[in-house]
Amino acid sequence: MIVETLTSPVILFFVLGVFAALIKSDLAIPEAFAKAMSIYLMAAIGLKGGIEVAESGFTPDLAAAAVAGLGLSFLLPLLAFTLLTRIGKLGQIDAGAVAAHYGSVSVVTFVTAKEILTGQGLSPAGYMVAVLALMETPAIISGLLLARRGQPQRANAESSGLLHEVFANGSVVLLVGSFAIGLIAGKDGFEPVKPLFDTGFRGVLCLFLLDMGLIAARRLVQSKKLNARLVSLAIALPLINGTIGVAIGTFIGLDVASAAALGILAASASYIAVPAAMRMALPEADPGIYLSMSLGITFPFNIILGITLFSQLALMIG
Amino acid sequence: MIETVSRKRIEILVDTPLVPRLIKHARDVDISGWSLIHVDAGGGRDGAWQHDDVTGAAAKTIILMIASEAKAAALVDAIAPLLDSYRLLLTVGDVQVVRGERF
Repeated sequence: MIVETLTSPVILFFVLGVFAALIKSDLAIPEAFAKAMSIYLMAAIGLKGGIEVAESGFTPDLAAAAVAGLGLSFLLPLLAFTLLTRIGKLGQIDAGAVAAHYGSVSVVTFVTAKEILTGQGLSPAGYMVAVLALMETPAIISGLLLARRGQPQRANAESSGLLHEVFANGSVVLLVGSFAIGLIAGKDGFEPVKPLFDTGFRGVLCLFLLDMGLIAARRLVQSKKLNARLVSLAIALPLINGTIGVAIGTFIGLDVASAAALGILAASASYIAVPAAMRMALPEADPGIYLSMSLGITFPFNIILGITLFSQLALMIG
Repeated sequence: MIETVSRKRIEILVDTPLVPRLIKHARDVDISGWSLIHVDAGGGRDGAWQHDDVTGAAAKTIILMIASEAKAAALVDAIAPLLDSYRLLLTVGDVQVVRGERF
């Protein structure tokens, strides 16, 4: 399974992107095309998730996974904050901002994991897309509370701007919206658009991961903010969070693939919704730290190793 | 020959998520016009960075404004306390404009 994962075109295209960035190749994906691919992938994954829930209905498993996802997103930043302040030696504000990233999730990591797991006959339940959407934002609240603990309240205008950023964020709107469309349209309604959203999905994901490999490696190469402690934590946090996620998923009775998906969600770190929210809410926090950790280290770690590790763990304890 | 008037040209390099806050500061000192300029890449004390539309995580924007000396001074006073925490790059220069009554 490990070799199968590491030799899949999806992962190899990501590795190619990382390699191209490291040798300073001029390879580049046009920005508008990359943005269009990200919209396509989020719409496709939301639609498919909605259709699967329309087929299976609202089950107790769905409710349990949703509650587990919400709980993980709220609570994982507490653990991250403790490790970041004690081992990483970060100040309260930087630690709170980084912790929020590690409680939230990476859509691309989830999409890649779902594709790889499905290819190996371990298809996570469709409702995991809803869990993904639910896990985007609670960590932002936890991270802000940790960073602002013991400090004066912010002005209402700033808070309302942040709330708008959090809940009207493009990726959240598209993911939740396409999930709802899939839920309403159902399998029959999906048939006419299936050639666009299903047939080309894996190929587009390959090209998108090529671009993400370029972006992640360039972020890492350009970073001047990381030290050995923070690099170690950027690998340790997904390992700890992912193990907790798989254990909880198994404990609440999810199937092996969905428990693995919950672990991968818990292990992933946001680099889209949370950085923008943190820049608004905690402008004093250093983006060079939280972006380099989440995008430069944790994201490639999860794509190349984490997905395999957590699916193996789910198979072992499931 | 067309008559020109002296005004201040204010440029602020800022992380894109913070643009609305700076625009509000400009409005508060009665500067009603601004332009946003997309920035592709750059470098500084904290290293180099590149814009990417996918994550938007390192997006930066230049806010360009033309204002009278009094309004420019009021804006600089308002945002001076934010220069470090917001990691702003603020420059103010002299320019000649036609239709000076508009600024």
